[in-house]
Amino acid sequence: MNPALLGNLGVTLTLAFSLLGAVLALLAYFQGDGRYLRGARALVLPAFLSALAAFLALEWALLTHDFSLAYVARNHSTQDPLWVTLVTPWAALEGSILLWGLLQTFYTWLASRKALDPWRASVVLAVLFGVQSFFFGVMATIASPFETLPNPPADGVGPNPLLQNHWMMAVHPVLMYLGFVGLSVPFAYAVAAMATRRYQTWVEETRWWTLIAWGFLTAGKVAGMWWAYEVLGWGGYWGWDPVENASFLPWLMATAFLHTAIVQQTRGAFKVWNFAFITLAFAATVLGTFITRSGIIMSVHAFAEGPVGPAFLGFFLVSTALGLGLLSQVAREVRDTAVFRLLSREGALLLGAFFFSGWALVVLFGTFYPLLVEAFTGARVSVGAPFFDQVSIPIGVGLLLLMGIGPLLPWRRTRAEVFRNLYLLLLVLALGTLVGLLRGYTPGASLAVGLFLYNLTAIFLLAREGVLARLKAGLSPWGFLENRRRVGSLVVHFGVALMALGIAFSQAYRLEQERTLYRGQAWEVAGVRMEFLGVRARDEGRRFAVEAHLRTDRFGDVYPRLNFYPQMQGPLATPVVLYTPVDDFYFVLMDFDREEGQWASIRLIVTPMVFWMWVAGGLMALGTLYILWPVRRPEEAKGVSPA
Amino acid sequence: MGAWAQGEPPPDLSPEVFAIARELRCPVCQGESTAESNAGVAVEMRRIIAEMLAEGRTREEILAFFVERYGEWVLYEPPRRGITLWVWVLPFLGMGLLGLALLGYFRPKKALPPEVLEEAERRLREQET
Repeated sequence: MNPALLGNLGVTLTLAFSLLGAVLALLAYFQGDGRYLRGARALVLPAFLSALAAFLALEWALLTHDFSLAYVARNHSTQDPLWVTLVTPWAALEGSILLWGLLQTFYTWLASRKALDPWRASVVLAVLFGVQSFFFGVMATIASPFETLPNPPADGVGPNPLLQNHWMMAVHPVLMYLGFVGLSVPFAYAVAAMATRRYQTWVEETRWWTLIAWGFLTAGKVAGMWWAYEVLGWGGYWGWDPVENASFLPWLMATAFLHTAIVQQTRGAFKVWNFAFITLAFAATVLGTFITRSGIIMSVHAFAEGPVGPAFLGFFLVSTALGLGLLSQVAREVRDTAVFRLLSREGALLLGAFFFSGWALVVLFGTFYPLLVEAFTGARVSVGAPFFDQVSIPIGVGLLLLMGIGPLLPWRRTRAEVFRNLYLLLLVLALGTLVGLLRGYTPGASLAVGLFLYNLTAIFLLAREGVLARLKAGLSPWGFLENRRRVGSLVVHFGVALMALGIAFSQAYRLEQERTLYRGQAWEVAGVRMEFLGVRARDEGRRFAVEAHLRTDRFGDVYPRLNFYPQMQGPLATPVVLYTPVDDFYFVLMDFDREEGQWASIRLIVTPMVFWMWVAGGLMALGTLYILWPVRRPEEAKGVSPA
Repeated sequence: MGAWAQGEPPPDLSPEVFAIARELRCPVCQGESTAESNAGVAVEMRRIIAEMLAEGRTREEILAFFVERYGEWVLYEPPRRGITLWVWVLPFLGMGLLGLALLGYFRPKKALPPEVLEEAERRLREQET
C-alpha cells in the first residue's frame, strides 16, 4: 500500500458511496419506502471514513516526502517545518478540494444523526450526497490530489511562501471551510422543506444549522483579517479583494437569514425570503470557490488556472436553479399576508434584511463589474477599496442603528415606553457624536463613537429589561443568563459594535510613513524613537532572512525582517506588530543596503484600535458558541433555580 | 545577496504619499495597491508621488499623471462618468427595487375606499392654500 493507492481508493469509494447514497435517498423519497432511507443512512459513515482515509493518505504522502505525487512535488519540500507540512493539504487547489469534501462528508454524517421525518430526511440526504458526489467527482476526474509523476523529483519547492509565513494559515482556511460547508445543511433543509412542502418546523431547525456555519464563517473571516494584517505587510486587514468579497456574500446572506428567521418563527412571515436567503448563501459559497479556482480574477487568493472553474460554475448554476426553481413552485403557498409596522421588531428585522441583502448586491456588483466590462467592451477598469468603502459606510451605519433599537422594539406594535428608550438612545447617539467632534475626531470617527455608545446603551437596556422581568416574577436575576439566545446575541451585537468602532478609527487614523535610515541614525515619529543598528542575515534552510535591528525607546529591540524564498522572485516582508490597547505599532523592513548593510528602509504604520477588532471577533465567536451550547434539560434546570 | 544591482535607497515617504498611493493599483501585481506592493514599479510610483508632492502638485494632478501613463484602470475608485458610472448607479437601483419589494410589508394590503382618499386629498389642498 502506498499513499497514492490509498488516496485514490478513498476518493473513489467516497464517490461510489455518495452516488449510491444519493440514488437510495431519491428512491426513498419517490417510492416512500423506509428501507431505501435506511440504506442511504448506512452509507453516510462509510463515505466519511473513506474520505478521511483519502485525507490521511495525503498527509502521509506529505510527511514521508513522497514526491511521486504531483501535489506533494508542487507544494512540499523536505525543508518544511512540521506544522507547514501538516497544513499543506489546503495550500493548493486539489488538496483544498479534498479538505472541503472531507468536511462535507462530516457534515452529512452530523446531519444524518439529527431526527427528522423520513420524507425530509430523504431529501436532505439526497442533496448532501449530491453535493458530496460533485466534490469527489471533481477529485476523481479533473483535480486529483493523488496524480502521480513518472519521474519524481528529489525535492520540491514547498507551499506558497505567503501561506507558510504565519501560523494563522493553519486556522483561517479550516474555519472558512467549516463555515462554507456548514451552509450546505441549511440548503439541504430548505430544498427538503420546499420539495415535501413541510414548512412548519423548517425555520427553527435550519436556523440552528445556519448559526453553526455563521459562527465558523465569522471566526474564519476575522482570522483571515488577522492573517492579512500580520503577513501582508501593508498594515491593513481588509482589501476588498475579489475573494474576500466572494466570501463576504455567504456571510451577509446567512446573517440576513439569522435575523429574518426570527420573523418567521414568531410571525410566520417571510418564508419566501428565508428560502431565498439560504439558497443564495449556499450558492454564494460555490460562486466564491469558482472565483478562487478559475483564475478569472486577479487576487492573492487565486489558485492556478485549471479545468475546475467551469465545473464549479456549473455546480453553482445547478444549485441556484434547484433552490430558486423549487421556490418558484411553492411561492404561492408560502406567500405572506402579514402587514408590518415600521416601528416594530419585525419591521426592524425586515429593514435589517434589506440592508444585508442590499449590501450583498452592492458587493456582488462591484466585484463582477470589471469582468462584465471587460467581457463586453474589452476595456479594463478597476473597482477597489475606495468604492466599497464609500458604499458600505451608509449601509453599515443603517445596520448599526437598527442593531441598537431593533431588539428593544416589541412585536407587532409600539408601546409608549418604547419611545422613552428611543429618545434616550438617540440622545446618547447625539451626545457621543458631539463628544467625538469636540475632541477633534473626524466626523466619521465621531459618529462611530456615538453609534458605539448608542449600541452599548441599547444592550444595557435589554439586559436590564430581562433582569427586571425576572425580579418582578420573584426569580433569580441570574436566570437571565439561561436565555441563551438573548444573552448570546447581546454578546455578538456588542462584538459587532466594537468591531465597527475599531474599523472606523483604524480607517480614519492610520498613520503610515517610510524612511531610509543609515546605521546609527535615529528617527522619532508618532511618539516612538528608534535607532537603526544594522542588518543581519540568517540562513534558515528553506528560506533566507534579513533582519533589521531597531532599538526603540518604547518596545525595546525589534527585528522586522524580509524573508527570501527560493520559489519567489521578490522578498516577503514580515512585519513586527506591537499591539497596545490604543495604537498598534507596525514595523516593516522595506529594503536594505545589499552591498554593505549601511542603510535600511523602514515603514512604520501606527493604527489605533486594531487590537479591539480581534477582541471583537473573539466575542462574536464566543457569543455564537454560547447560543449553540447544549442547554441542560428542564428538570435539571428546575433543581438549580430557586423558584 | 550582492549579486543583483541596486539603485539608490528608497525615498522617505510621508503619510500623504501613502494616501495617494492607496488609490492607485500596482500595474504589475495581483490586485494590490501601490501603497502596499513591494514590486519595483510600485516603489518607483511611490517615489514619483513623493517628488510630485514636493513640487507642490495636487492629488488630482498626480492621479491624472498616472491615468495618462497606465489608463483609468490604475484608479481604484472608478470615475463617476463613462462606463464606470454604472457601477455607482446600478447597485442602488437594485437596492431600490429590493426596497420596493419589502415596502409591500408595511402597506395595508387592501386599498382604501375612494371616498376616503378623496377626502384626504381635499384636506391636503385646503392646507396648501
